[in-house]
Amino acid sequence: MYLYLPVALTSINVLIPVGLGLAVGLLSGLFGVGGGFLMTPLLIMFGIPSTVAAATDSNQIVAASTSGTYAHWKVGNVDFKMGLYLLLGGFIGGLIGVQGIKLLNAMGNADFVIKMTYVLMLGIVGIYMFFESLQSMKKKDVEASKPAKESVVGKFLKSLPLQTHFEKSGVTHSALVPVVFGGFVGVLAAVMGVGGGFLMVPVMVYILRMPMHVVVGTSLFQILFNCIEVTFLQAYTNHSVDFILAVLLLIGSTFGAQVGAVFGRKLKGDQLKIILAVIVLLVTVKIVFDLTLSPSLLLSMGGGH
Amino acid sequence: MKLKFLALTLIALAFAAAATTASAQLTATANHDHITVDFFYHGSTVSVRGVSDPETDLVIKISSPEGHQTLRQKGKVGGLLWMNVGKLTFEHVPNLYFLHSTKNLTEMLSNEELNKYVLGYSALESHAEVAPVSGASEKNKWFDEFVKMKEASKVYATSSGKISTTAKDGLQEYYVLMDWPYQASPGEYTVSVYAVKGNKVVEQAESKVTVEQVGVVKSLAGMAKQSAAVYGIISIIAALGAGFGVGLIFRKGGGAH
Repeated sequence: MYLYLPVALTSINVLIPVGLGLAVGLLSGLFGVGGGFLMTPLLIMFGIPSTVAAATDSNQIVAASTSGTYAHWKVGNVDFKMGLYLLLGGFIGGLIGVQGIKLLNAMGNADFVIKMTYVLMLGIVGIYMFFESLQSMKKKDVEASKPAKESVVGKFLKSLPLQTHFEKSGVTHSALVPVVFGGFVGVLAAVMGVGGGFLMVPVMVYILRMPMHVVVGTSLFQILFNCIEVTFLQAYTNHSVDFILAVLLLIGSTFGAQVGAVFGRKLKGDQLKIILAVIVLLVTVKIVFDLTLSPSLLLSMGGGH
Repeated sequence: MKLKFLALTLIALAFAAAATTASAQLTATANHDHITVDFFYHGSTVSVRGVSDPETDLVIKISSPEGHQTLRQKGKVGGLLWMNVGKLTFEHVPNLYFLHSTKNLTEMLSNEELNKYVLGYSALESHAEVAPVSGASEKNKWFDEFVKMKEASKVYATSSGKISTTAKDGLQEYYVLMDWPYQASPGEYTVSVYAVKGNKVVEQAESKVTVEQVGVVKSLAGMAKQSAAVYGIISIIAALGAGFGVGLIFRKGGGAH
């Protein structure tokens, strides 16, 4: 069955957005990512204009992350305190990032910087997560018997002022740490035009040293607020949110997020990390192919990245 | 002198009357001239029919009003990576352009006539302005890309030999049926039919096709533009509600912890 999308001005088989929503919602519930880095290009591939694809994806992420946050909150896997600090940083970072994009557009090389940032960030994060989780899966028994060794970075972070304990995550950090790293992800997310979940998850795992299951719930919590803001701004300034498309996507994604959260609880932290790393690396390879293979069309409609 | 002038005027009037009789033969009707876009719209079909002088060839053009379009241009950076390298503006180009003819355009009409009535991609290219480009060959390259993109979106198409004709009562009846793509945005489209004889357009007739959103589709599209803040808030509330709703269903369903 086909439905006409009033803002995208196109017709789509309902099974496509529902199926995409289900698949990306599953990833969202499993790994705590919004899935924008997957969903937006897929929607464009199915004929949705890029501006509408990005804006509507934010709207459906609101539903998927509400569903996912709720599922993780029920089992105590959301660190609200940490989430709020990260949100604060992300908000400031987002403002800086948007100004950065304006500057790059004025300089005329925005697309190059955006694409390179995408490839580098995804590549680095994917490769690091892949090898780290592989190693930690192998050495699990050895590490369990040894006390955790504190790194130089860890010592430096401990020396910062405003130390506070995050009970749910079981870690103590300076309040500045999540704000600054949240800000860093916010800048990159704004530059890349994505929610930044796939960057926020490694920051929480490797820098904030939070347990993987709390990372997933907390990441979804902060993604929820980011996407509420983005949805409103996109609807208000660009008129590019397609309500019907969002409803079709969220029918799939809300269920997918719940199923993902249930599956996630059955997997170990390292298993989750390595699967996410493989997905991130596959997306990186796809982007590299897109950049190097001759495109079939040399002109495209404006908007999006 | 006065009588001579009167005689010449009468002769001229007689010729003009004969010409009007001939030109009154061409008619054009689009069968589906008001396409309504509702929730289940997935494109439509449009047929154009009419009568013409039996010895004429025909060209049928359907196009949207001309406008300008700014598109992103892909190019190679550093000889290796394909990415957006700039923007190109196309002036005087329609969003939709369908052209059907009984024969190949170049066999039927001179270049001057093709350009005069903007018939065919070459004439459209001459008519359009593309900027910034360094010269004619670059304009040609990017106009070809423009047509490629439009054809991929199904809003540009040309064909020859698709129009069927039958002789009836000393006249020629013609008919063409075409798919109307759902990608064609709401608006008014002009159907122009040209009767061709001796490499010239001898008659012209027009009709209209209107595409209009109705019902929920019209309300939502209007609200997205006119009440953007309310539309944004409703979208967010609906998403929050759906997220919580499904969460509750899973809890009631005994979601495993």
